Amino acid sequence: MSKVRYESVMTADRNLAPAEHEEFDSPYTIPNDRYAALTTILHDVGGEPDYPQALYGKGEEDWEMNTYLTCECLAWRGAWNAEMRRRAENDLGKTQYYGFPYYGRWITGAARVLVHKGLITTDELGDKIDEIRARLEKK
Amino acid sequence: MAKHHGDGHHDGHNAFDVSSKVSEFEILELAVRELAIEKGIFSAEDHRRFAEWAEGVGPHGGSKLVAKAWSDPAFKQRLLENGTEACKEVGIDWLQPTGVGTPSDYTFFYVLENTPQVHNVIVCTLCSCYPRPVLGMSPDWYRTPSYRRRMVRRPREVLAEFGLHLPADVEVRVHDSNQKSRFMVMPMRPEGTEGWSEEQLARIVTRDTMIGVALPRADRTSDAGSLAEQAR
Amino acid sequence: MARPKFQVGDTVRIKDRTTLFHTRTQKFIRKRVGTIVEHRPEWVIPEDEAWDRMETGRKEPFYVIRFKQTELWPDYTGLAHDTLETEASESWLEAVKG
Repeated sequence: MSKVRYESVMTADRNLAPAEHEEFDSPYTIPNDRYAALTTILHDVGGEPDYPQALYGKGEEDWEMNTYLTCECLAWRGAWNAEMRRRAENDLGKTQYYGFPYYGRWITGAARVLVHKGLITTDELGDKIDEIRARLEKK
Repeated sequence: MAKHHGDGHHDGHNAFDVSSKVSEFEILELAVRELAIEKGIFSAEDHRRFAEWAEGVGPHGGSKLVAKAWSDPAFKQRLLENGTEACKEVGIDWLQPTGVGTPSDYTFFYVLENTPQVHNVIVCTLCSCYPRPVLGMSPDWYRTPSYRRRMVRRPREVLAEFGLHLPADVEVRVHDSNQKSRFMVMPMRPEGTEGWSEEQLARIVTRDTMIGVALPRADRTSDAGSLAEQAR
Repeated sequence: MARPKFQVGDTVRIKDRTTLFHTRTQKFIRKRVGTIVEHRPEWVIPEDEAWDRMETGRKEPFYVIRFKQTELWPDYTGLAHDTLETEASESWLEAVKG
């Protein structure tokens, strides 16, 4: 990563606002009610306050449809199951769970579970990502 | 970029950073898929077969079920008693495409019958559980935290936002699809459809009427005109 | 298959158990009282399936529970006869004496 890209990524990262924010990161202690709030299971949103939003259908992009298919094939052939996918989405943490598009949660969870199960390594994943990025950007 | 299963209102908007040449999620998906195929976790043929199945499913499946149930009381009874089994009569097999069902939809399908007293509507507050074999891919709005948060707590407001105002003597029954059951609403046959064929009837049974956020009408054959769609 | 402990028509309360990391029993039904309206087949519970225990996970009967919306939400803005149905596995339920 170039120095310029490093600086811009760090700045963008600092500007992400976690849903629960302390002025002092990694506080020395937290009250129990904050612990309860922070350990709430992410996907359990029923009844949370929200306001009406313009709800429309945009349809799946190619990568989104492919993500659905890849995740289902991984489950079909026993690499994981649908509930592991849903847990993997929760495990992303609030910032990514709400920051990613719907299928972004799926594919990130899939990659993590494959690594966790020892089916691929992070090196293989990283190398493959770099190879594909180079391949696609050359086009 | 090609889109799939849209709602007829598309623009060129990408789901994230449009300034990048190639999206990181597209790269990540390709990486996961290629590694999985190289390592023999699944095959390219598996992916192709699943894609073929996914291209074939859509709300037309559910529309057929409802139109047949409206026309044939005995079929309606079978559909309400054993949804998964009755689906076979219109060519929908919940065991496809793997032989044991899809990993995310399972094989427990229940049809919820609307009556003059009860209006049913479905939501999955925890994620996006949806009966893909009969309705295809869920609409994007169905998966939003906003719909998931609000439909269970303020169903009448949310339905009103979809343009559906239900009378006070109707019970609104929300089904939060939180385990392995999958649901579809069977709306009531509207007036003005007497003597219609099943094909004619199927055209007014749109996706939204089977989620429960709209009612079929003799002159309504698309969800595209709903208030939610217009609100964009 | 285990014999289901509850019958259609039974009044039950959803337990409020500590659940770290993953569950499919929503917060908004915890401690709430509802009525069993349907049986569902016995499945592996999601609390085990989520941890790659599809084959070895604990199986339990599942139930459909119907709640009055006014039982779930103290500030419910709809009508008194509105309801909500959702499912839970047996170990989440406790009998409420009618």
